Amino acid sequence: MKRAEQAPVLVVGAGVAGLACSRALADAGKDVVVLERARGVGGRCATRRMEGQPVDFGVAFFHGHHAEFLSALDEVPSEQVPGWPFVVAGTGKPCQSEAFTPGERRLAYRDGVQAFPRHLSRGLQVHLQSKLAGLVLDGNHLRLTLEDGRQMEAQTVVLALAPEQISSQLESLAQHPQVASARAVLGLARSQACLVARALYPPAAPVPDWQILFPETSDLLQVISHDSTKRQAPARQALVFQAHAAWSRTHLEDPEWPDLILAEAAQLLGTWAAHPEVVEYHRWGLARSDRSAELAQPMLLELPGGSALGICGDRFAPGGGVEAAWLSGSRLAQRILSWEAR
Amino acid sequence: MTMSKDALDQLVERDQDHECAGFGEARICVRVAAVANLPTRAGTFHLVGFWNNRDAKDHVAMVCGDVVGMEDVPVRLHSECLTGDVMGSLRCDCQDQLQEGLKAIQRAGQGVLLYLRQEGRGIGLLNKIRAYALQEQGLDTVEANLALGFRDDERDYAVAAHMLHSLEIKSVRLITNNPEKIRQLTQHGVKVAGRIPHIIPPNDHNRFYLETKARRSGHQLDPIQLDRLPEQSDPVVFATTPDPLL
Repeated sequence: MKRAEQAPVLVVGAGVAGLACSRALADAGKDVVVLERARGVGGRCATRRMEGQPVDFGVAFFHGHHAEFLSALDEVPSEQVPGWPFVVAGTGKPCQSEAFTPGERRLAYRDGVQAFPRHLSRGLQVHLQSKLAGLVLDGNHLRLTLEDGRQMEAQTVVLALAPEQISSQLESLAQHPQVASARAVLGLARSQACLVARALYPPAAPVPDWQILFPETSDLLQVISHDSTKRQAPARQALVFQAHAAWSRTHLEDPEWPDLILAEAAQLLGTWAAHPEVVEYHRWGLARSDRSAELAQPMLLELPGGSALGICGDRFAPGGGVEAAWLSGSRLAQRILSWEAR
Repeated sequence: MTMSKDALDQLVERDQDHECAGFGEARICVRVAAVANLPTRAGTFHLVGFWNNRDAKDHVAMVCGDVVGMEDVPVRLHSECLTGDVMGSLRCDCQDQLQEGLKAIQRAGQGVLLYLRQEGRGIGLLNKIRAYALQEQGLDTVEANLALGFRDDERDYAVAAHMLHSLEIKSVRLITNNPEKIRQLTQHGVKVAGRIPHIIPPNDHNRFYLETKARRSGHQLDPIQLDRLPEQSDPVVFATTPDPLL
């Protein structure tokens, strides 16, 4: 049998919640190993280069009001676009209406929103393309098995995933009452899907005068982001189309969805919008939390034998979004540190 | 028009474009936005409505007598509890705590009850109902309740401190049995000059608790588990039991 690798804290999920938790633990001197199934860090804080131009296709911009979160954003060594979006059009419903309340700070980064998770992950030991397959309690530690057969052990494991994923990973530990309760809480919520198209337009295309549009009449598109307005002298006009949660859920398996998004774009903006020069599509199956399911704080479950299981994510702090994800991760790190110091 | 109503109206005028660095971690900032008289069963109050820069929850102050610019003002902090305050739920003691708080202020002839719109200790009515449902399924652990929002919320004290500051109250005598409340408010810059014990007389409505409390002594697992979800952060002290802080 292969010998399992040991780390004091294993964090599963390199989205903003997992990275904020790992960052705070590492800053306090802990050895942290982060596991991420994707090829890059950031989760929904996602930026992809199209023809060399950064395009944000998950989170469009940051907003927040907690002093600590704002200073974490300010530490990122990337040029900020303060106040973006400057012009918000349409009367449709934003993902988070708080984003536009007085006193809320908004910003983007010139080289994309992923600059934030990339900065959080600096110096951390992050294993990419490492997908968790199983989790068992073995005496005084937790043993994780990855999909490729690797095994890892730790006394403290943090699951910073979508609640559905956490709940299914915890099935093997459901005989412990605190885990059963946690799964009941996780089961209160379902993550929302989001189908996305990111498009580059030819120079002759009309230029919208807004940075964000929340269309009021569309059952299909929730938000259109004029992404290239975040860039310094962009070569191309870039628009990112994000579909409503309900529509995304019912069309996740529909092969026609990319065409339907572009057809709706043409309806809303003009026929030109259906003819981008370059277009790419992305399916977010577990994009964000439903606001009716937000929770107050992350969980730290003590298991028999002295190991502990932390749970954090955008739903584990009031408000939702990147700020809530960051707060939940940082707060969980503080709880782990004070629990271990006990 | 009474003097205190005039003084409160002037605060609305003053706060029209008030904007400060805010209180607490979330930098919450409030404005005195509306004032009217409110006769209640406990007596007549001025109802003062506050706007805030964080959410759509309009916190209110129920003011009795002259408080603007005053010292040693009796103050009670009450967190909204729809099920208790309005529906008379017996899962908590909020209705008794609210009514006794208002009566204590009327008896003193002066004081403020801050009614903080933070259902279920900050996280909302939906999660409170969910927490009750989980309890009914027998799934009740501290972690689950904490995640659902049953805890002292830092924001309670930050917004309360700003509201007292906006009312220009120089120092307060806090109606509470909870030393933590005094500590937290002090941290947010409120001068707490003293404490008034919050004592609830036994009556037909709260006999339920008295009986439950008596029944529960010696029992770890009471099916109702009233002490697991303290909606108000104050320990309940009945007139028949001694104040733990005296």
